Amino acid sequence: MQPLLRVENLVKHYAAGRSAPSKDKFAALDGVSLSIPARTTLALIGESGSGKSTLALCIACLEHPTSGSIWFEGIDVAALDENQQRLLRPQIQLVFQDPASSLNPRWTALEIVSEPFFVQGRFSKQERSDKAGTWLDRVGISRKMVSRRADELSGGQKQRLAIARALALEPKLIILDEALSALDCSVQAQISNLLLELQSSLGLTYLFITHDSAMAAQLADQIAVMDHGRTVESGPAEKILSSPGHGATRSLLAATPRVPETHSVLVDS
Amino acid sequence: MRYFLRRILHAVFLLFGVSLLTFLFSALTPGNYFDEMRLNPQISQATVAALRAQYQLDRPLPVRYLHWLNAVAHGELGFSFAYNSPVGPLLWVRARNTLLLTITATLLAWLLALPLGVWSASRLGRAPDRVLSWTTATLLVIPDLVLALGLLILAVRTGWFPTGGLATVDFENMSPLHKLRDLASHLTLPVTALVLATLPMLVRHVRASVAEVLDAPFLRAAVGHGISQPKLLYGYALRAAANPLISLFGFSVGTLLSGSLLVEVVMSWPGLGPLLLEAILARDLYVVIGGVLLSMIFLVSGNLLADVLLYWADPRIRIAASAK
Amino acid sequence: MTRPRKLTRWLVALVVLHCVVAGAGFFAPYDPVEQDRDHPYLPPMQVHLMDTQHHFHSRPFFYPLRLREGSFDQYQEDTAAAVPLRFFVHGADYPLLGFVPSRLHLFGADGARVYLLGSDAYGRDQLSRILFGGQVSLLAGLFGAGVTLFLGALIGMAAGYYGGWRDDLLMRTTELFLALPWLYLLFALRAFLPLTVSPLEAFLLVVVVIGMVGWARPARLVRGVVLSVKERDFVRAARGFGASDSYLMRRHILPETASVLLTQAAILVPQFVLAEMTLSFLGLGVPEPTSSWGNLLASLQPYSVLVSCWWMYLPAVAIVPFFLGYLGLASALQQRSGAYKIDEQSSWSPT
Repeated sequence: MQPLLRVENLVKHYAAGRSAPSKDKFAALDGVSLSIPARTTLALIGESGSGKSTLALCIACLEHPTSGSIWFEGIDVAALDENQQRLLRPQIQLVFQDPASSLNPRWTALEIVSEPFFVQGRFSKQERSDKAGTWLDRVGISRKMVSRRADELSGGQKQRLAIARALALEPKLIILDEALSALDCSVQAQISNLLLELQSSLGLTYLFITHDSAMAAQLADQIAVMDHGRTVESGPAEKILSSPGHGATRSLLAATPRVPETHSVLVDS
Repeated sequence: MRYFLRRILHAVFLLFGVSLLTFLFSALTPGNYFDEMRLNPQISQATVAALRAQYQLDRPLPVRYLHWLNAVAHGELGFSFAYNSPVGPLLWVRARNTLLLTITATLLAWLLALPLGVWSASRLGRAPDRVLSWTTATLLVIPDLVLALGLLILAVRTGWFPTGGLATVDFENMSPLHKLRDLASHLTLPVTALVLATLPMLVRHVRASVAEVLDAPFLRAAVGHGISQPKLLYGYALRAAANPLISLFGFSVGTLLSGSLLVEVVMSWPGLGPLLLEAILARDLYVVIGGVLLSMIFLVSGNLLADVLLYWADPRIRIAASAK
Repeated sequence: MTRPRKLTRWLVALVVLHCVVAGAGFFAPYDPVEQDRDHPYLPPMQVHLMDTQHHFHSRPFFYPLRLREGSFDQYQEDTAAAVPLRFFVHGADYPLLGFVPSRLHLFGADGARVYLLGSDAYGRDQLSRILFGGQVSLLAGLFGAGVTLFLGALIGMAAGYYGGWRDDLLMRTTELFLALPWLYLLFALRAFLPLTVSPLEAFLLVVVVIGMVGWARPARLVRGVVLSVKERDFVRAARGFGASDSYLMRRHILPETASVLLTQAAILVPQFVLAEMTLSFLGLGVPEPTSSWGNLLASLQPYSVLVSCWWMYLPAVAIVPFFLGYLGLASALQQRSGAYKIDEQSSWSPT
């Protein structure tokens, strides 16, 4: 059974901007390889700056890699031309970290979720509205909120909105780029439950990018670790979490803050 | 050093661009300019033919441009039909008059703007500052044309100042002191108009820059050391606020030739402005091109000067430049 | 919030001013080209409520002016012949808003012409000429600003969105245009075009020339906005569902430029009105007999007029409230958007 997504030795160089003093290229990705079977969740953990977001953009066909290959359902994405890529993009959707930037703050919730249908151009106004409404219900945004502007919603509601938008065109793969990192703990729990529920009912595949290994532990079937633009370790979640092999993995796992047991002393008095 | 080369290269590029634009305008006008000249009875056919040959109208555009560029580089800016003389000397005389006016006005404006702006910034929000702000705001709302005309009417009705020209009729026969007085009295009106037009913005800029700096910790430290108010304001604050002002100064220098066009025409000051206007009305093309080019050169040089001054005045720019 | 209130105040003031000029036909008592050669250079007439016998009249009236005995240019009121002012009279034809024929004027008089702001060399009513002239000058400013902003937005969008060599080329060109002294450029452009044109052609010429001079600064500003919006994730997301470049530019990027464009409009319109006035004043703009504020001021050029006919200066005064309104509006808009300071504009020139 071929994996839904397979990435092999992906390399992405950015030419330094005109304002940068040196002319050297900056290697955001320096050899990334991973594979995700359908209907599973791969958590990609790594520190900030390890190139995770760049990887997300490349897989979603929003950036061109310098070298390496991306296979989606067996199709070599890099070999496609711009038009073909445009047709492919709806199958792979992104949910970004900061909903303030990923949602147009002036648009209403309904407009935001209807946008994918509008862009695709094959739906009537009524169809768009109906479909958008369905997805909004699915992610738990009440009908009252539907005509509110995005900047009037709470953080959790905004991310639900972002997820609804990502689901609109029924993609096979959803990449969540630090999607829960900006949320409060309780909201995180709600949204991750939503994600799990959606995955099982819709048969989605997730690439879950995070720097928080605890969250990865909750959601992932498999884990891959990135360091300085390279995948340094990957495998089943339990194995990586219990016995990390690479130094980078170990420091990432150790970095999760743990609340000391002594806090209970403060509660009784 | 490389910094300078880059800036000079930039300026040269600008000049080329400007010259190209100017040339294109003249070359692409509807209707052949020389046909119009042929209809003009004041110009002999021989002159037209000679000029046609000289400007090689039958050659393709790029060749004409290069030819023209070459001529300009040698200081040949063409021939004026209205004045029946080469353009160069004509421009030069007028440009001198313009510069006399604008240099006086610019110096005066800056000499007034600096203390006014600094004083205003040091009393930010209080009565003197508010009064000054209101005055500058009012002056800003009044366009140059309105100001110049208003001043002219005032002068005409009171008869206090001569209302046109550079000098009275028997200028040559006056003693040096009288000459100076005569010149000054002729200068008064146009200089006032120019200063009133440019002063408000300058004062605002000085005030804004100095006000920003006055909050800085290093200034408070200096006050703590017991420094006197004037020294604080001028020695420290003004120097720290200098960067945007230096750029502005460069802009002032750049517009020395072009900024006074309207005032010159209204006040009948015999400078580049009225010459340009006459040339346009008389369809004296080469004078127009020459005038535009000259003022363009000034503008570009002004910007270059600002860059040079900034480099010299601000160590941070020197360091950044040498790090490249 | 107090800020929107300030904005609305300026906006309302400007709208009122523009309405007065737009309704020039109604507010002006006479046709601006109607001559009266018997009454050249009349000073403004006073409107009285109290006559020389100290009787109070409820209807305002005026005394026609007669030449003083033995003088060529001194006028005095002819107190024997009081002429009442009437309101909502029928007078000369004019097209309301450009196409609806109407004859209604706010005020007028029977028997003698009332010159509230004096008359010019041909006996034409200055008040009417100023009102109608305002139409020409303001329209030139508005259209010029429109052309400039359109060009600037187009170029700024292309430069910011596509980047690369296109961006470099366009930005170098804007540097070039910003380096040019705009008045000289205006003149140069005007110089190379035919000198005598019909009023309509002149108007179009002025608009196009002005529009082509000032696009550089708006283009840079729009480019700045585009560069920052382009990187926003909602633009990336839209690309993710297959949005085309033109869709992104239209639906996401362009609305973000609105605030910059509006502020620039408030700054540019008065500058361009002034540009038209300057050109017309110097004889390079709208020609007679059409009046514009510029060519009305041109009649001040003869020395005799300058000395004795102060009322010919009034068109210059007419523009000041408009400038004030636009400047206030621009300042309020900039405060609201919290963007760059107004001090970056160093003078009334577009460069």
